[in-house]
Amino acid sequence: MSNDSYTRHIPPFSDVLSELPPQFPDETETDVVVIGAGPNGLLAAAYLTAAGLDVTVVERRFEIGGGLATEEILFPGHYANTHASYHYMVDYLPPLTDFDMAGQGLRYHKPYGQIGGVFGEDYVYLCKSFEDSRDALARFGIDQADAYGRMATRFHQIVDEILAPATYLPPDPPVDLTQALQRTAIGQDMLEVSEMSALELISSYGMRDSIQATLLYSACQWGLSPIESGVGFMVPLMVDRGTQKAFIQGGSHRLASSFARVILRQGGLILDNAAVVEITTDGDSATGVVLDDGRKIRTRKAVLSTLDPQSTFLRLLPAEAVPAEVRDAADGWVWDKWSLLSVFFVTKGKPQWKPNPNNGMIGLPTPFDTILGFDDTEDVTSFFDSIEKGEIPKFAGHFTVETEFDPTLSQVEGEDVCFFQMPAPYDWDWDGRGDEVVREVTALLDSHYEGFAESVIDCVVETPKTIEQRIPCMRRGSIKHGDYNPLQMGFNRPSVECSSSRTPVNGLYLGGASMFPGGMVIGGPGYIAAQVICEDIEVKFPFDRPDRLKRYLDTYFPDGKD
Amino acid sequence: MSQTTAPAVDPTTGQRLDKRSSYDFVVVGGGPNGLGIAAYLSKWGFSVCLVEARPELGGGADNAEPIPGCSIDPHAVYFYGAAGPPLEQLDLASYGFRMSFIPNYGGCITHDHRAFFGGNTFHDSSSRDPEVYVEMLGVDRDTAKMYLEFMDALRPRMRDFFRSIYWTPPYDESWGIPKAQTPVARVLRDCLPMYDDAMLDMSFNEMMDALALPDPVRAGLLLGSWGNGPHPYWKGMALPGFACTQLQFFSGCTPVGGMHALAHALARCALANGAKIFVNSPVSEIIVHDGVAKGVRVADESLLEEKTIWANMGVINNTHVKSLPKLVSSDHLTKTFRQRIADLSLKGGSLYVANFIVNELPEYSDAPERYEGSNYPSGMALHCTTDALMELMRDVHTYRMHPTDLDHYIAWYIVHAPHDPTRNRSNLPGGVVTVNLQVPAPEDHKDGPLAVNDAKYEILDNLKQVLRHYAPNMTEDKYIKSVINTPYDSEQRNMGFVGGNWMGMRQSEDEWWARKPLPELARYRTPVEGLYLCHQTSYPGGLCLSAVPYNLMHILKEDYSEIEATTPEWWYPSPWHLTDAEGARGRSSLSTGGDG
Repeated sequence: MSNDSYTRHIPPFSDVLSELPPQFPDETETDVVVIGAGPNGLLAAAYLTAAGLDVTVVERRFEIGGGLATEEILFPGHYANTHASYHYMVDYLPPLTDFDMAGQGLRYHKPYGQIGGVFGEDYVYLCKSFEDSRDALARFGIDQADAYGRMATRFHQIVDEILAPATYLPPDPPVDLTQALQRTAIGQDMLEVSEMSALELISSYGMRDSIQATLLYSACQWGLSPIESGVGFMVPLMVDRGTQKAFIQGGSHRLASSFARVILRQGGLILDNAAVVEITTDGDSATGVVLDDGRKIRTRKAVLSTLDPQSTFLRLLPAEAVPAEVRDAADGWVWDKWSLLSVFFVTKGKPQWKPNPNNGMIGLPTPFDTILGFDDTEDVTSFFDSIEKGEIPKFAGHFTVETEFDPTLSQVEGEDVCFFQMPAPYDWDWDGRGDEVVREVTALLDSHYEGFAESVIDCVVETPKTIEQRIPCMRRGSIKHGDYNPLQMGFNRPSVECSSSRTPVNGLYLGGASMFPGGMVIGGPGYIAAQVICEDIEVKFPFDRPDRLKRYLDTYFPDGKD
Repeated sequence: MSQTTAPAVDPTTGQRLDKRSSYDFVVVGGGPNGLGIAAYLSKWGFSVCLVEARPELGGGADNAEPIPGCSIDPHAVYFYGAAGPPLEQLDLASYGFRMSFIPNYGGCITHDHRAFFGGNTFHDSSSRDPEVYVEMLGVDRDTAKMYLEFMDALRPRMRDFFRSIYWTPPYDESWGIPKAQTPVARVLRDCLPMYDDAMLDMSFNEMMDALALPDPVRAGLLLGSWGNGPHPYWKGMALPGFACTQLQFFSGCTPVGGMHALAHALARCALANGAKIFVNSPVSEIIVHDGVAKGVRVADESLLEEKTIWANMGVINNTHVKSLPKLVSSDHLTKTFRQRIADLSLKGGSLYVANFIVNELPEYSDAPERYEGSNYPSGMALHCTTDALMELMRDVHTYRMHPTDLDHYIAWYIVHAPHDPTRNRSNLPGGVVTVNLQVPAPEDHKDGPLAVNDAKYEILDNLKQVLRHYAPNMTEDKYIKSVINTPYDSEQRNMGFVGGNWMGMRQSEDEWWARKPLPELARYRTPVEGLYLCHQTSYPGGLCLSAVPYNLMHILKEDYSEIEATTPEWWYPSPWHLTDAEGARGRSSLSTGGDG
């Protein structure tokens, strides 16, 4: 296809058009270019513009947001959160308090019912309220409620005191971190759980199998192996935050819009339909970017890439600008061990849970996620194992009746939006077996929800391949831009040279999900990048550190960090 | 202005209000016109709050991505506003808005493969040989010569022609200024030797008769008029019909990234200048005290904590004029006025819009050399002759058109991909193209709108047949995904498209210029002081031209001394604009009105 007419120059044939005002200049200059308008890019741009910097955010897609996407893929009139449907770290995300996000129309809502787990005859119900969860589990025996209580309390302390604040500070070398954590009992606890696998940790509390299965699925669904040790610290995070998830009224995209409003008001510029094809360099310094239509944006201070390491270091930068060890690290980057399959449905009316006399839970509010299709803990473990090997042993996962929580997602009265999601391998015959996916998932839901199959009006399947097509730096459908394994976490994410956001290329910073501490709309990479950029270019970071971060630093690094 | 105004006082309780919920202006609706006026007012220096009912801003300036990387245009497809002042005054380019101009805009093919290729190539000033036009238009030498002279005379004044008709506030009917003295008549009389006042009363079809243009060029222009404004047989609408076809050639472009990029640019201009914008916030009431608009109340389902938003200066309504009686309490609108609103005709026709995502560019069997590279036309009228069009028009306006009747599938075919690489960001093999086909259709159907929705798959199949008739390579295996929005769907998606009418109402002479939508509303004012209309149901209608907000600014400048006193350097009014005082002096004032 020829692109020769794709021009911002006025063709000579029209007298009218020759009087037009100029279009966007071919060459512009700015303090900082942020590559990618996902949650981290937007968050960083909000802080950098607040610091008084001139910032241009460039986004490849026609909409900003990256994983914060609420789009009308169920056309016409129904919206789906195609990536993140809820967020984990709402209680901790600094920008939510630093900026007047509520004033931009942002409303988070944390549903009462967080997780429902259907395992055999058991229905495990977990709430955002600790004691209500214990009440719901007490029907399996007070000992069960107590065991859960011990686990949940411990997990929450680890998150609240260590993991949450550490999310927003540059990572420490493992030796330093170990030393620091030794200072408190909770820190020692965390060191202990880090050595364990998810399965070992969760089964160490003596809980009933159905409860363990529910927790294990919740801990691992986003890409943690149940049996791998060394990333055990992720389990408290996933489990604790998994029962504290909050969604945004109006869809996840509203967070992106709210950031955009802040950025624009502070003088920033956002360009969409603007794909970066090159990060320009002068010697060992980054000097700007080139867009796919030839436009050049020069930077006076910094380029911040929120893309995956292969895109940044192997595709966009000239080879000679990148040190060999960084290129090698990028080359050896391991993508997520599995991706996601999402099936979005439009139904006539909200799916109604089939009355189940055994669950005894009728009358409780619908949980945000309901885990369906597994037998027990062993089944969950072997399911993840098969998915990791590239197989789909069966269709089982979690289901959310989204319009139950956010009616704005359907613009057509009487029609509702819901979605089923499950871990899924990238390498599978998605093209050839698409019908099977819909049939199997519909059958699973039909067995739990009254007349589900008949109520379906429309359905869209988003496979690992479509995730990659929408957002190419989620290569192989990697929603976290790269696997969570010990070699790619903490100080190693994405490599020891770059996990602080600084890179060996002067003026080039990283700030996406592939950087410490990772993805899942936790905002850490963007927040750290903004702090580090401000520090390097000697501009005052526009907000004080949250008290929680200060307490963490005082407790664990009383002598300061390097 | 906001920076210096003390916190507003609640007019019902006398209590001071939180500054957050009090603004100079509140705009109801975030379509292109609502965003446009929010951008104008905030750039002018006033505090603005815009509330939109839907989850997304943009109204008809809208894109969706049903499959990854391939965007579709459910409504507006072209940006026609390149010749208007707003692009420059709001400096939309600086917010990233880009236009890709199309060398070969489009043409028309009849079912028996007679083809006309128009667009900008057709008007290329390098060709002055009438013989070229004899062949191109299928006319004799004299007609060709006449057409050439006509276009040569008009071209230097084309921008004035557009601005006089679109970017000028209508005159008040009570001023008694005759039709022959309207801005567009003055411009054309001034530049066209063959101009005749009789043109003012013609239908566009009759004007084509007068210009002796045959099919398929004529059919293409007629469909272009129907698709973008007046229907070709509506009397007195020849010049608006002609204008909107020329707008396509001389002021039109593919907006890079899709029409939603225009909404982004307008919204970003407003936001960068301090406006507040909230979505998912339907307005349930426009608050009026003592006959003056004081603010709005958003519906309970809105996410805003503060359900009342106060306007210190005015409320701008970017919703359908028919919603006015629903939003303003009956205490403040007379029964007569409400009835006059209720009696407005909305009949204008709708469209079935199919978006086909295919893995190959359709290749026309006729004159393939005309479709190479960037010459690939961005729009084509398919299946179109004047006779067939007139029959279709009859059946649409009498609601007789059956959604599955293949004979009635005159379609406007749009492909942006060759002119805008951002339209395909998918990594699917083979190069993916979105083909948009629009078929004129009635707003309603004799069996009800849902009868049309039930025929969706049949409509899609029929459209595929039409396409294949002209582009034989479009076999079934080329289709990756097909979506359709019917008139019913269009209304569901956009409450301003009542009955699926994209223009919101009829673009006929009895609801045009000084009568649009009603004579007492033509100057964008309403019976409620401080409440203004800024919707495509006001003059000059839709097409995302930002003309309504530009025109409204003239009126606001007259009504608010604060606005007049702070007129920025970047503002320039329409040279044909008459203030109320000038207008009241009637025809004598025209001499001061300026003619470009």
